[in-house]
Amino acid sequence: MREFLQKAGNIDRRIIYLLILSAVAITILLKVSFKSTPLPEVKRSYDIINSLPAGSVVMFSIDYDASSMPELDPMLRAMLRHCFEKNLKVIMLGHWPLGLPLGQIALEDIARQYHKKYGEDYVFLGYRPGLQAVMLNLGKEIRSVFSTDYRGTPIDSLPMMRGVHNYNDIAVLIGLEAGSVGDMWVQFANARFNQKIILGSTAVITPDLYPYLQAGQIVGLIGGLRGASDYEALVKHPAIASAGMASQTVVHVLIILLILLGNIGYFATRRGK
Amino acid sequence: MKREIPLFITFITGVLLVIALFIPHKPFGQLQQTFNDWLIIVGGFTMILGLDSLLLHNWEKIKRKKEGWISSAFLIASFFITLFWGFGEGIFAHRSPFDPSATFLRYFYTYVFVPLQATMFSLLAFFIASAAYRAFRAKDGNSTLLLSAAALVMLGRVPEGQKVAPWIFAFVLILLAYYFFKEGSRTSGTQKTVYMVLGVLSIALIYPVFYILLHYLNYIADWIMNIPQMAAKRGIWIGISLGGIAMSLRIILGVEKTYLQ
Amino acid sequence: MSISFNPWVWVAAFLTLSMMSFLYKDNIFYKIGEHIYVGSSAAFMLIYLWYFDVKPKLVDGFMYNTGINKWILIIPALLSLFMLMRFIRPVAWISRWAIAFTVGMGSGLGITGLLQGFLVPQIKATFLPLYVAGSSTLSTIYLSLNNILMVIGTLSAIVYFYFSREHKGPIRKVSQIGITFIMIAFGASFGYTVMARISLLIGRVYFLLHNWLGLV
Repeated sequence: MREFLQKAGNIDRRIIYLLILSAVAITILLKVSFKSTPLPEVKRSYDIINSLPAGSVVMFSIDYDASSMPELDPMLRAMLRHCFEKNLKVIMLGHWPLGLPLGQIALEDIARQYHKKYGEDYVFLGYRPGLQAVMLNLGKEIRSVFSTDYRGTPIDSLPMMRGVHNYNDIAVLIGLEAGSVGDMWVQFANARFNQKIILGSTAVITPDLYPYLQAGQIVGLIGGLRGASDYEALVKHPAIASAGMASQTVVHVLIILLILLGNIGYFATRRGK
Repeated sequence: MKREIPLFITFITGVLLVIALFIPHKPFGQLQQTFNDWLIIVGGFTMILGLDSLLLHNWEKIKRKKEGWISSAFLIASFFITLFWGFGEGIFAHRSPFDPSATFLRYFYTYVFVPLQATMFSLLAFFIASAAYRAFRAKDGNSTLLLSAAALVMLGRVPEGQKVAPWIFAFVLILLAYYFFKEGSRTSGTQKTVYMVLGVLSIALIYPVFYILLHYLNYIADWIMNIPQMAAKRGIWIGISLGGIAMSLRIILGVEKTYLQ
Repeated sequence: MSISFNPWVWVAAFLTLSMMSFLYKDNIFYKIGEHIYVGSSAAFMLIYLWYFDVKPKLVDGFMYNTGINKWILIIPALLSLFMLMRFIRPVAWISRWAIAFTVGMGSGLGITGLLQGFLVPQIKATFLPLYVAGSSTLSTIYLSLNNILMVIGTLSAIVYFYFSREHKGPIRKVSQIGITFIMIAFGASFGYTVMARISLLIGRVYFLLHNWLGLV
């Protein structure tokens, strides 16, 4: 028995890989779906956007790339749906050059579905290096950073942008974060210009953002695939995040069982010694 | 001069920004804005530092046919293909490579770049599972606490986790009881009594733990995230921030010069 | 849904599987995929630099700005040029000027951001009332206890990372409380990290099963 338990603590890594892969694939193939109640901080984010009057300007910042796309892309899409449904105007920019096109692709895609017009309902500004410098200067005048959009069209020739000059004209800033750019948004846009901020983040960095939420420096927090699936549920458009949550449950349970097995093996070996 | 001028530049820019925080009016506020604008321009060029060594290193490998030269050839080729594709779109098709209709965005970015990057990082799922299985051991009180918090959050943050968690924790308690009784049977005296009491305690806890997790797991996960987790993270980040400020001051005052090497 | 006939989806699937083959063992397909990624992201950065930095800020600035706004651009243009001097060994030292500027800006922004945007508001948020009247005795206890825990947790975690004095006596006791909070936080972070990593895998598997094979 002890020998068996000791072996249980020493399974080949490839078998573990196979178990994880099968767990994800089978749950997706079987189209298993689980429902959950949205987390309070996600519901709060939804309520804030929901309460904005039509025509308000919302700024999205794409601060992630393909390495965290499965978490943040569904989140972005669900939030864009919400914004366009509420007839809000969307400005998009970002600080992660390798990932910005993901935001742009999602924006164009969702805008098309809601028959929104470029320049009137949404604008894609693109990227400028400088991070905090960009954030600070946006607080003075957007044109000082982005005199043109990504195509080179002067900002003033885009009808939607005519009255938009700085953070005073932006109702909510939504930062989709995979790194530390969210901290910068809080430290510069919120602390210096009092900009209302909602952060959508990868699960890795979500725990680090709770202090901002408690301090009121951000008004909402949407964390990881769970947050994305919550938002999908709130906008009543379940998509890839909701489809993935069942796999998430199954794999979490599997990993906990593996940890348990590892510990049983560990204690069996320790006692043996 | 090769060191003094850079140190002076760092000092002036750093000090100006600090002054501008307290006196955001003319001329400091305006200077800050101008400096920011320059950083926006210059900052981009930091992205290409290291490009020469990347290309030269791989070129050398190809030239000398060192081990792995084939992949180096793919690196150089993909670098130039991407470059020509991206700029070619602007030169020949007269549109930004980031236009939704651009082939660069529609094909190269979507079907080559994104899958490579996304898959590379998705491998971490396997590694974290394997590492958790191998290294996550309840060796002492602290590691048990870490493990328990992790399990509660992992199950409390996924749908239906509430239904599974009670069984897992009940199973752990049964295992613990078995372990304590077994150890108790091998020892004698006070030690035996302690083991037996712990064994009985583990059994006694099964029902309350099962009940609480079945009904309140989501709230427990919420509470962990919002109270103890948040407090510790705040403490840690306050420490890191103080360190960051001290480091920045050292740089501005010229004590820290490693960036000039 | 059926299997995709889009050749580009096949390319993406092939690259995805090539990268995943690393799980079995390191092999040429993985290596090639990895190198293509590195090479193309370096080129991608260059393209981005041109379209979102040099062209709109410098080239267009020189073309369309007038007066002082035009000529002042010479300074950042020179600094950018200095940065590139790093590639030419005899004059590489001049790139330090540009680096010094970015480092100085980074440090200045770092201090001000952390001070105004993190330390002050976070410390302020820790000054919590230790007694909070709730709607019932139970809620009063719960709310007050939460606030007490937040204050103790924050302070003890700071003390744990205070290395300027040896941890003995009361400091040791407080830092031991700190480590309890820190362990809970690390456990929670681990749980969330697992969640994140699995999500990434879900994304790729979904691509293979949905976009490529059309099974779901």
